[in-house]
This record gives sequence, C-alpha cells and structure tokens, in this order.
Amino acid sequence: MIEYFLLLLGESIMIFGTLGILRFPDVYTRLHAATKCDTGGAMTILMALAIASEASLLIKLKFLVLAFLIALINPMVSHAIARGAYKYGIKPEVVVDMYAWDNP
Amino acid sequence: MSRVPFYLRERLDDVKQRVLFETYEAQKLPKWEQVVLTWILLFSFWTIISANLKAENLLIGGLATLVISSFMHEMLTEDIRRSGHILEKILYISFFVIPQYLFIMAFRLIESNFKVAKHAVFMDINPGIVKIKTELHSNTGVTILANSITLTPGTLTLDVNKKLGETYLYVHWISVEALNREKAGEKIKGDIEGWLRKIFW
Repeated sequence: MIEYFLLLLGESIMIFGTLGILRFPDVYTRLHAATKCDTGGAMTILMALAIASEASLLIKLKFLVLAFLIALINPMVSHAIARGAYKYGIKPEVVVDMYAWDNP
Repeated sequence: MSRVPFYLRERLDDVKQRVLFETYEAQKLPKWEQVVLTWILLFSFWTIISANLKAENLLIGGLATLVISSFMHEMLTEDIRRSGHILEKILYISFFVIPQYLFIMAFRLIESNFKVAKHAVFMDINPGIVKIKTELHSNTGVTILANSITLTPGTLTLDVNKKLGETYLYVHWISVEALNREKAGEKIKGDIEGWLRKIFW
C-alpha cells in the first residue's frame, strides 16, 4: 500500500520538476528544478522499490545506499554546474548579485 | 575587561577567535581513534555492498579495510573535534546525531520538492545571490553544510570563500526574503549549523 503512495509521489515530483525546467527563465533557477526533482523523485522511487521487492534484507539495504549516494552526489553536481556556468560568463536574472560584487 | 573600550573589545574577541582557530591543530583526534572511526565506516559499507555474510568474506573485507584505513585515516576524520571518550563519541554520533539529521533532512527535502513545484506552477520567483557567513572552518564541516543548504528548500550553494579565518558562502536563493547577512543566514542555515558545530571544528 505505502509503496504505491511513494511511487505516485515520485512520479508527480518528476512531472513538476520537468515543468519547472521548461518554465523557469535562466540556468540557475532551472538547476533548482532539475536537482530537486532528481533527489525527491529518484529517492522516493528507490524507497518504493526497497519496500516492494522480494529480496533479502542486505539487498534492500543496497537500495538505501543508492538513495544516500544520490543525496550525496546531487548537491556537488549542481554546485559544479552553477559555478562553471558563472565562470563561463552566463549572467543570472536576479534582483541582487553579491557574487559579482566580490568577483568583479 | 570591563574598562576596555568598546571598539577594542571587539578587536580582542577577534584575536581570541583567531588564536582558538590556530590551536585546532592541537585538538585533533589521536591517530588510532582516526583509524578506528574510518575502519568502522568502511567495513559497514563493505558489508552492505557485498551483501554476503560468510566468514571468509567478512575476514577479507575487514583486512582490506584495515589496510586502507591505516594510511587513509586523515581524509575523513581530520576535522572531528576532540571531546570525550571514543566509545561515547561513536554512540553519540551514530544514535543521536545521525538519526536526528536524517529525520529533519528528509522532511526538509519533501518540503523543498513541494516548494519548487509551487514555484513552477505559479511562477512567483524572485531570484538572487546572497552572501552568508558561517561559524564552521573545517573542510568537512563546510562541505556538509553546503550540501545540506543545497538540499533545503529554495537554495543552491554557488561558491565558498575563506578570508582571514572566516568562511563565507554564496547562495542562490529562488525567492529572496532577506538581504541582511545575519537574517539571511538564520533563514537559510536553520539549526543545521548548530549540530555540525558539536562534531566538526
């Protein structure tokens, strides 16, 4: 029962993340949508798989290790993409930009 | 101390803080405790990944992780503060800090997903890059804090800057609510920094 709820939650988070990628204005806000849909959607789907699959306990723990690795790697990748885009020269559409004040 | 003028007192506090930061080399864990902590982490990871509870598998894994942790012990545990006995520290970290952290971060993650979904539907975004100051100085602590900030709702860490013994984070915020450094820091960091300060320098 609870695995269907988790699967539905993951699917809806993925759909809203895709909507965010399509609608947001620039790289940085799109990156928000992409990373959030990745963490929430993929992690809830992995948890649903860990509950629903008929395997031994250690194999189920492997799914949780995968979810933990996603939560660990995703912020680093988003930081790398955002900083690389900034260093490349893409200006963000923002109201205040304190990073440009300190790195002229 | 009470006769010291106000501007000088601020300066004195600054110097004291810097001396404290310099004595952090003296506050590291001893070597065998670093080896033990690294070995526990690596061996539990080996046991879960290999998914095999036979005796020879555990023996091979224990020996290999012991060899690795004997010369890679400084990588993970360099920044952990020295306070109390090692057994006390292991129990405190594994049964009090980590479950609390995971519980709170799970709820923040779900909240962040709903927040981004709301922003995607209504398009009420007001993005900006703000600069906040942290009390943490060690590499591991700043890394964990920056990753937690990226996972919490509506924020994304862009860069870290260390200047004069103080650490600053640049955060891309999808809807800016405060520009003041202290208020923005309170809203972004929450109480994550307080927990991390109990373990890391």
